[in-house]
Amino acid sequence: MAPLKRTAAEAIEKEEQRNSKGASIHKKALIDAITTNEEEDLRGSSDVDEDGYKSSAESESTEHLNGHGHRNESDEEDEENHEERKTQAQSKLSTQDVQIARETAELFKSNIFKLQIDELLQQIKLRDGHILKVEKFLHKLYDIIQQVPEWVEKDFTEVETYFKDKIVTVPFVDPKPSASTQYKFNYKKPDVSLVGSFALKAAVYQPQGSSIDILLTMPEELFEKKDFLNFRCIHKRSVYLAYFTHHLSIILNREKLSEFLQLDYEHFNGDPLNTMLKLSCKPTGGSSEYNFAKTKFSINLIVGYPYGAFENKKLLPNKNCIRVQEDKTTPTPFYNFSVLSSTTHNHYLKYLYKTKKQTEAFKDACMLGRLWLQQRGFSSQISHSGGLGGFGPFEFATLLCALLSGGGINGNKILLHGFSSYQLFKGVIKYLATMDLCSEGHLQFYSDLNPSATVPTSKYVEEGFETPTIFDKTTKVNILTKMSTNSYLTLKLYAQETFSMLNDVVRDQFSNIFLTNLNKIPNVKYDMCLDLELPTHSVLLSKFGPLEKIRFISFENFLVNKISNVVKLSLGERIKSFEVELIGHKIKFPITKRKPTSGVNFSLLRLKLLVNPSECEKLVTKGPVNSEELSTEAIAFKNFWGKKSSLRRFKDGSITHCCVWSTSSSESVIISILNYIIKLHLAEDARLNSQTLKQFNDLLPLPNLPSSSTTSVLNLGSFYNVRKSFDDLYKVIFKMQLPLSIKSILPVGAAFRYTTLCQPVPFAYSNPDFMQDVILEFESSPKWPDEITSLEKAKSAFLIKIQELLNSSHSNYKTFFARDESIPYNLEITTLNVLTPDGYGFKFRVLTERDEVLYLRAISNARSELRPELERTFLKFTAKYLASVRHNRTLENISHSYPFYSPVVRLFKKWLDCHLLYGHLSDELIELLAIKPFVEASPFLMPGSVENGFLKILKFLSQWNWKEDPLILDLVKPEEFEDNFGSEAGAVSELDITSVKKLSENLTLQQYKTIQSNFTALRKSDPQGLNLQFFVASKNDPSGILYSSDVPLPIATRLTALAKVAINLIQTHGLNKQTIDLLFTPALKDYDFVVQLKSPTPLRLSSGVLDSQGFKNLSQQQNKFPSDLSELSEKMDPTYQLVKYLNMKYKNSIIFSNHCHMGVNGGERGDLNVITGLIRPIFKSPLKFKVNIDGNVKPIDKEYVELNKEAIFHEIAAFGNELVTKFDIN
Amino acid sequence: MVAKIDCMKNGYLVVPFQLPSSDKLKECENALHYMFVKKHQSKSEHEQRCLFLVNLPLLTHSENLKKSFQEICSRSNTVAHISQLLHYDEFGLNDVDLSSLTSDLMSTGDAEEKRFTPRNTALLQFVDDSSLENAWNALKKYSQDSQDDKLVTWSFRSPSMETFINFYKPLDTEYLKTDIHEHMALFEQREAQAQEEVQSSLVDEDGFTLVVGKNTKSLNSIRKKIFNRNPLLKHEKVAKPPSMVDKKAKQDFYRFQIREKKKQEISELLKKFKQDQERVKEMKSKRKFNPYS
Repeated sequence: MAPLKRTAAEAIEKEEQRNSKGASIHKKALIDAITTNEEEDLRGSSDVDEDGYKSSAESESTEHLNGHGHRNESDEEDEENHEERKTQAQSKLSTQDVQIARETAELFKSNIFKLQIDELLQQIKLRDGHILKVEKFLHKLYDIIQQVPEWVEKDFTEVETYFKDKIVTVPFVDPKPSASTQYKFNYKKPDVSLVGSFALKAAVYQPQGSSIDILLTMPEELFEKKDFLNFRCIHKRSVYLAYFTHHLSIILNREKLSEFLQLDYEHFNGDPLNTMLKLSCKPTGGSSEYNFAKTKFSINLIVGYPYGAFENKKLLPNKNCIRVQEDKTTPTPFYNFSVLSSTTHNHYLKYLYKTKKQTEAFKDACMLGRLWLQQRGFSSQISHSGGLGGFGPFEFATLLCALLSGGGINGNKILLHGFSSYQLFKGVIKYLATMDLCSEGHLQFYSDLNPSATVPTSKYVEEGFETPTIFDKTTKVNILTKMSTNSYLTLKLYAQETFSMLNDVVRDQFSNIFLTNLNKIPNVKYDMCLDLELPTHSVLLSKFGPLEKIRFISFENFLVNKISNVVKLSLGERIKSFEVELIGHKIKFPITKRKPTSGVNFSLLRLKLLVNPSECEKLVTKGPVNSEELSTEAIAFKNFWGKKSSLRRFKDGSITHCCVWSTSSSESVIISILNYIIKLHLAEDARLNSQTLKQFNDLLPLPNLPSSSTTSVLNLGSFYNVRKSFDDLYKVIFKMQLPLSIKSILPVGAAFRYTTLCQPVPFAYSNPDFMQDVILEFESSPKWPDEITSLEKAKSAFLIKIQELLNSSHSNYKTFFARDESIPYNLEITTLNVLTPDGYGFKFRVLTERDEVLYLRAISNARSELRPELERTFLKFTAKYLASVRHNRTLENISHSYPFYSPVVRLFKKWLDCHLLYGHLSDELIELLAIKPFVEASPFLMPGSVENGFLKILKFLSQWNWKEDPLILDLVKPEEFEDNFGSEAGAVSELDITSVKKLSENLTLQQYKTIQSNFTALRKSDPQGLNLQFFVASKNDPSGILYSSDVPLPIATRLTALAKVAINLIQTHGLNKQTIDLLFTPALKDYDFVVQLKSPTPLRLSSGVLDSQGFKNLSQQQNKFPSDLSELSEKMDPTYQLVKYLNMKYKNSIIFSNHCHMGVNGGERGDLNVITGLIRPIFKSPLKFKVNIDGNVKPIDKEYVELNKEAIFHEIAAFGNELVTKFDIN
Repeated sequence: MVAKIDCMKNGYLVVPFQLPSSDKLKECENALHYMFVKKHQSKSEHEQRCLFLVNLPLLTHSENLKKSFQEICSRSNTVAHISQLLHYDEFGLNDVDLSSLTSDLMSTGDAEEKRFTPRNTALLQFVDDSSLENAWNALKKYSQDSQDDKLVTWSFRSPSMETFINFYKPLDTEYLKTDIHEHMALFEQREAQAQEEVQSSLVDEDGFTLVVGKNTKSLNSIRKKIFNRNPLLKHEKVAKPPSMVDKKAKQDFYRFQIREKKKQEISELLKKFKQDQERVKEMKSKRKFNPYS
């Protein structure tokens, strides 16, 4: 198919030589039809001349607009026809249909993807009514512009006096021209044309409204050759714009249009050198027929210079065009770009239009690109004064054009004209993802308009300028000048992420690519959002000298550049990318003002970081190797880091300059570095606000261990100690001589996978997670009893044997037996609990090959009404004995690749326990829910802070629709982008990618589909998910129900509801101390009743949790187990047993919840708890009296009864007699 | 409160009890507990002279039942001797007897073992018939004319802190050992007995003895049947690996095979296309294409 496609594409490209070469392709005919239509249309409406599609200024705008209307309609008709044809074909000709199906499967990722794209494009199309409405006004506006009277040449003083008594102020840029200015200012009729995406018809509907760009090109006669120097042309334009504005407002007044129109100045794309006039509708305007308020459009009147007015070679980025005294060398890239790009608006429109005509799917691809960029926060705004920018729809379209005529290393074509919108879009994304346009190379292209066959191709040149570069050899403009390096890096990151998504053949990534807006909560998009306060700018202002002024133009650009450099240098590999945002940076200002603000144009700086989780907590920042004579790098390093820089000898013997940082449980190393470096390089009194990050870190219970407050949240040392202790015990037990030899000893406790709420602390046996589960398997034997009670007894006999051997040979281990209740109705399970000399505990249970058979036999022997209960028992057994091993192994294995997973899941557990849900959900289920933002981060990136990971879990839970969507997790390590696709495009062939894919452990499409069909089957019998809400599947559990089958519906819905409330709260009020506190405050009012409990023994310290003040000296650490092991029970949680029995007694009528970790959530001392009761819905209304009603009821008449709440309360009060302190009935 | 109800439509007497006031529950003083009582009729020998009780208060045992019933009886000046409380499983611990479901080896063959009553119900057995009659009449009278202020007070037996804490106590190893020893001895004896029975019983008419292996329990056919009971199978479709025959058979030998295959491919493609269209339609109706939501 590939060669065929190429011929098709070529045929389209060489439109002139239309011959029969690829005529059989149905699509080509369609394109021809459209293009000829369009051409006829144009020909019919205006006299097209050679080089473009417009002639004189006068007719051009109107005709152009007319053309729009017409073409619009014809386009639509065409589409309709197309649609009709399609539907007809579907009913009659199935061959036609097959062809479409085949074609889309090849041209697009898959059929569904194409259909989704079609649907999406329909959704974001501009509404025709709106277009007509605004076009009507545009016609009027055109006429009005023609009425602005011409002026005569004025010198500067005359200009000043002219505007003295006018409302309008001239928006002169700094520095304002001096009184001795020689050159003259003037206004002559401009050439008016429509530019931008509205002109290209690639604009999309945006809820906040779109803008229409109208270009007013100043006539060439107003300029002299040298006017590009020293702001001359800029000042001329300012006066031109002010004069125009003044007269425009007069005419608008006269025409009674000013009652609904609002005029403002605005810096075009945030460029302070280029002020434009913005026309927008007042929210409460008159009812004029021209009022286009409801379309939400606004109109930008941009003043440009004629194409080729200045010699573009002299405006190359490295040239100096602002002379300060005799200096002619300091480059002025921003200034040069601003001047040069003002001459090229029309040129690029023509360039894009030409390509659009050659490429059928160009428009659609641009719309997709625009949407993609928008959802990720990118725009055409200049990013040197903060924000993500410099890459908007225009840059996307231009890159697309450039890639259609080359772009490879040898100038090979990256994209072909016959590509579908999806292929074009993917091609651009791939190019952005794989080609470096900043430090390793750049793209050069020619925006020639002459349709000759010898158009030079665009080419990737392996020479980087350390600034993002797509260079147009024709106009000498670097399209990416507005883009800062970090903005580019962020773009590249997202492109890589998206490219991986586009290559995902297993999941439907459509909504992640196009529909999710990443910008809604900044704390979700970025790992760290830090407010940077600079109380005094004076130090920095003093550094903003004349040379900086001409290099950076504005103080904001200078400052952002400075901060970016400091952040980049100081954090290096610790972050993936970052963004500096200037809060309160204004680019719009009234026409009575000269510029947005008189002082500094922002109120606050915000640093937003994307953290590299594997590097962020490294203790050492390495510098250059030390040498006898200090190298320049060493000097630079020392200068940059000041007194923090020191010399260190490393393991390999090298002596290196470096900085050593210290970790902390509440503050990331990144914060410490930034705190130090901004004071050093920005201002003494600079302050970094990282309050929310700290607060989230502090929410994790601090273990009562030495130096715990100086241990990073990523440090798993306390978990490794458990593991070590286990390994010792393992060796001892494995060596034992037993009647049956041991096959395996498998750790399954949560501490082995680093996910226990509290970090393991030796001898802290009050912690409910203290005992770590271990599964013991013996060599297979046919002799295991074939009856369950006896089987359990036989297992116990083996455990007793082990205990005896352990006691005799290793008396430093303490052992005892306990009953285990993890499998309902199996009351005979005993576990051997071993307390190690290191202070940890392990709970051994035996698994035999007979267990499963017996549980299954019980199902088949049971009465049918008991079967569901027994099936649940079987699932419990499978989860506890079989799946737990796989789960533990998988999570332990991959969690090293997701450094923040451990602290995040622990915080999530704490949150669940705060809200009394923890007891109802199994550890495994919680861990799987929490890992979703890690293994399936897209469209975001992998979490890089506790705060970010936690918020992403909440966001996911708040949006997930359990009724309709199965959660299918691919529990594998993250793929590094380079591993998969190679750093250079083309370095890894498609073949390699497929072979890599085969080796990977990712879910295959087949597996994924099987799981999906499991879900569909499940929902068929239970569409509302009343029996089972959470379907959470992975390779370990394709059924998806193993851990969630016993989650009651009210609990499941409550989890979703709580997450929704939390996200709502953050969205409306932002993250701050109060909102975070609220997130962790249980809503007790939602329950039917609440019982407050107080236990006689506080459990906080004995759970190994440091008290909130963290006075280490006072907290006595337990350092041994009691010699009489029955004393262990004295420091256990009695409320757990109380709630367990309440839940058993009122199983069918009430759901009881409590805090499971009293040591964490039980107040200051860990002796408080609550029990909340939720009455099941069926017991909320009267019921018919039946013998098996199973609820404490009272009669209301001879037939009906209702729940006897008072009696139940009395029962609870009597039951928990010594614990209950208060009853609240809601 | 609605009019007093002394008897439910289906013949259950409503027996109210006054609950003792609790200092933690100031808001609901004068709470009543309602027990529902009926005469129990059963052919079983063990269940004669019984009252069937529905909705027993927390932690009921024969002692506090006795006390309360005696008080009720004394109001009618009669006496009733209670012998025991049967089949009461307040926390549902024995709802399911796994042992008997996995094997009949350990069962005593007693019908008693399989007997169960619904949750929150129990049988109260009396010493003799007259006791039963006395109690029934007294209850009837009590439920009919008892005023709110003259109700019998039920006394809860509150568990102490010890009770809760004791759940955490280690098992007594010695006790565990003897228990296991006794149980295993019994089990082995039963097993041997069963084995013998199987082998001796398999003598057919001609006097031939059918030889059965010791491990009948792991017969494959039985095993398979049992494994099909796995509830996870209902939720997991397992793709069958192609058998050897399938693998060997050529799929493209005859022309018609190729033709058929092509046809099938095309129709599948078409089917998928239609499905996708449907899916997108559905997604559209759910407004899933709004990038600004």
